[in-house]
Amino acid sequence: MSVGTTPMVETNGALPTPVKAEAHRRGRPWGEWLTSYAFLIPAIIVIGGFTFVAMAMAIVISFFKYDGFTLEWAGLNNYAKALVNADFHRALLNVVYYMVVVVTIQTILALSMALVLDRIMVGRGVFRTIYYLPAITSSVVMGLIFSWLFSPGGWVGSVVGIFIPGLRQFGWLLDPGTALPAIMTTTIWSTAAFFMITFVAGLQDIPTHIYEAAKIDGAVGWRSLWNITIPLLRPTIFLVVVLGTIGCLQVFDQVYVMTNGGPLKSTLTPVFLIYTNGFRDFSFGLGSAEAFILFVIIFVFTLIQRRFIDTTVEY
Amino acid sequence: MRSMRLGLALAAMSAVLLTACGGSSTSSAGASGTIRFSGWTSTPAEDKLLTDELDAFKVKYPNIKVTYEPVPKDFRTKLKAQLASGTEPDAFYVELGDAAGFMQKHVLLDLRSEMAKTGTNASDFSGKVLSAFKSGDTIYGIPKDSNTLALFYNKDMFTAAGVSPPTKDWTWQDLTSAAKKLTKPGQWGLITNADAARWAAFVYQNGGQVLNSDNTKSALLDPATIEATKYYASFKQNGSGTYSGALGAGIGWPGDAFGKGKAAMVIEGGWIIPFMKDYPAINWSATELPQGKQRGNLVFTVGYSISAKSKNPDAAWTLLNYLTSTDNQKTVLHSGFALPTRTALASDPYFATHPAEAAIFAGNAYAKPFSWGVNSNKVADAIGTALERILLGKQSVEDSLKQADKEVNDAMAS
Repeated sequence: MSVGTTPMVETNGALPTPVKAEAHRRGRPWGEWLTSYAFLIPAIIVIGGFTFVAMAMAIVISFFKYDGFTLEWAGLNNYAKALVNADFHRALLNVVYYMVVVVTIQTILALSMALVLDRIMVGRGVFRTIYYLPAITSSVVMGLIFSWLFSPGGWVGSVVGIFIPGLRQFGWLLDPGTALPAIMTTTIWSTAAFFMITFVAGLQDIPTHIYEAAKIDGAVGWRSLWNITIPLLRPTIFLVVVLGTIGCLQVFDQVYVMTNGGPLKSTLTPVFLIYTNGFRDFSFGLGSAEAFILFVIIFVFTLIQRRFIDTTVEY
Repeated sequence: MRSMRLGLALAAMSAVLLTACGGSSTSSAGASGTIRFSGWTSTPAEDKLLTDELDAFKVKYPNIKVTYEPVPKDFRTKLKAQLASGTEPDAFYVELGDAAGFMQKHVLLDLRSEMAKTGTNASDFSGKVLSAFKSGDTIYGIPKDSNTLALFYNKDMFTAAGVSPPTKDWTWQDLTSAAKKLTKPGQWGLITNADAARWAAFVYQNGGQVLNSDNTKSALLDPATIEATKYYASFKQNGSGTYSGALGAGIGWPGDAFGKGKAAMVIEGGWIIPFMKDYPAINWSATELPQGKQRGNLVFTVGYSISAKSKNPDAAWTLLNYLTSTDNQKTVLHSGFALPTRTALASDPYFATHPAEAAIFAGNAYAKPFSWGVNSNKVADAIGTALERILLGKQSVEDSLKQADKEVNDAMAS
C-alpha cells in the first residue's frame, strides 16, 4: 500500500526530524491513520456487511425457525433436525467421497503438471498458459460444456463407445453411479490447473544448491524427487490439500448446473441442500444450522490435516 | 405461538389498512398516484406484450404511474425477501406454489372490497383457477392466465405408423397401444418424465389422491394412486416411452424431444405452443388427455396480487383489473401466449380454429390446481424422486411410493 506517500503525510515533513521519528515509533500520525481507514472503508463495508454480518446472522438464525416472515425460537431443534435428516447424511457421504477422490487426484495431477513445466526449457510460458486456462474458465460455463460432453451420445460416450459400443448412448449424468464421478472429472479438470500454479511457485522456492548437493551425493531423478522435492514442498502440499478440501466440501456450482443434486440424490451435496432448504423451501433456520455443522466439519478436517502434514521446513 | 400472534398482528394491520383506504377514496376509477408492479421476465415476445399492455394502461389512466420492476431470475426468492423486509411492490405475480403460504401469512390484500368497487365478480373467473388464490371466501389474487395439460401428438408419425390420431375419448388402453405402435429405433411413443406435474394428472384420472383432503397427510399409498403410478411407469418399462433426459444432448425437457422428432406424443401445456414455432417442420396437433376411470387434469396458474401493506391499493387494483379484463385477456389469447381465466371468453371464436388451445381450455372443467398447500414444493420433490427411482428401475412402485409417503409425512410434520 502506498499510504506512506500520500500528500497528507508529506505535510508532516515540516516537523523536525526527531519528532517525526518519534511519532512513527509511537504509532502513525493521525492523518495517516485516517488515510489508511479511508482506503479500507469500502472493503470493510463490503466484507463486513456481506461476510461477517451475514455469518453472524446465520448463526443466530440457526437457533430460530425462520421462513422469512416469522421468527420463532427453536433452540437446538434445527441442529437436531439436521443431524437426523437422511438427506443431510446422504449429502455428507457424497461430499466426503467427492473430496477424497478429487483432492487425491487433483493434488497428484497438479504436482505432476508443475514438475513437467519445471523441466520444460522451450515455450514454458505457452504451456503454462494453456495448462492454466481451465482455472480461469467460469465454473458455470464449464459445467454446461461438461454436461454436454457427458450427455447420451455426447463426446465422452462416443469415445468410450469405440471400445465398449453399448456405452455410446449412456447418460453419465443420468445414472446414480456415474453422475458424481462425472462432476469430479469436471472439477479436477479446472482445479488441477489452478493448484499447478501453486506448485510451480513452490518449486521455485526450493534453492538450487540443495539439488546440486544431492547430485554430488548421487541423488538424481526419482530419488531427488522423492527425497528432496516432495519433503521441501510440504508447506505447498499442505496448502493445496487444505484449500482443495475446503473447496470440495463447499462444492455447489457444478452440482447446480449439471445435475441439481440428482439422479436419486447421488450428487446432493451439503451446500446444495443448504441452498434448497434456504432458498427453495425457505427454512432458513434449518439451512443455517446445516451450514454451521458444515463449518465445524471443515474446521475439524483442516485441524486434522495440519496435525498430519508437518509444514515446518528447514533448508 | 409467537408466529400466530405476529400473524394476527399482520391481519389486524391489513384490516386497518383496508378500512382506512375504503374510507378515503370514493372509487377506484379515480385512483391516482404511483405504484410498483413486479413479475418475472419471459421470452422477449411475451415481455413486449406486457409492456404494450402497460403502455396502453398509461394512456387510459394517466393519473396512475406504474413503475414496472421485472425480475429476470429467482423472482420467488426476491419477492419473499421483499415481503419479509416490507419492501415489496404494490402489485406482483404470485406463483401457485407460493399462494397457500402467502395467504397463511396474511401478506396479501383481500381483494373483495376492491372488486366490489369496480363491479368485478368472482364468478367472472373460472372457479377452479380462482380457488387456488382463495382462502375460505377471501380472494387474495386474480388468476393472470391458466394452463392445463393436453396430449400433443405428431401427425406425421401417426400417419406413418397407421394409427388413427388421438381423440378426447381415448382411454388408457388406447394410449398404451398407440405408444407401442409409434415406437421404433430412435423414436418413442410417449415421454414420461419423473415429474409430479404430469404424473398427478394420471392419479386423478384413476380416482387416486396425492394428499388427504385437507393437505395434512400423504395419501400416496392409496391403491388407486399406486395403480396410476404403475400405469405411468409402464411406458418406460415396456419400452414405448422414455424420459426426456435419456435422449441426449440438447434435450432438456419433453418439448425438445417433441420438436426434434424423437417423440410421437408428449403431455404438456400451452407453453409448448409458442415453443413449437421454432420447429416448423413438425406437423402437430393436440387433444384432451385420455381418460382413466374418470377425466383428470391439472391447472397451472399464476395470480396477480396486491400487497397487504400497499399504500395505494386502489391504483394497484385499477392496474390488475385492467390486466385481467376480458378485453386484455382476449388480446393475450389471440397472440397465442396464454389462455384466459375469464369465463366470458370460453366461447371465443379463436378456440374453433386452434384445437390445442381449445383442448387445454376444456381441461379446466375437470382439472385440479397443481398445488398441495404450503408444502407443495417438498411434496412435488418427494414424488419426483420416487418416480426417478421407479423409471431408473431402482425400486418397485410400491417401495418407492412407501419411501415418498414417509418423506411427505415427515415434511408435513416439520
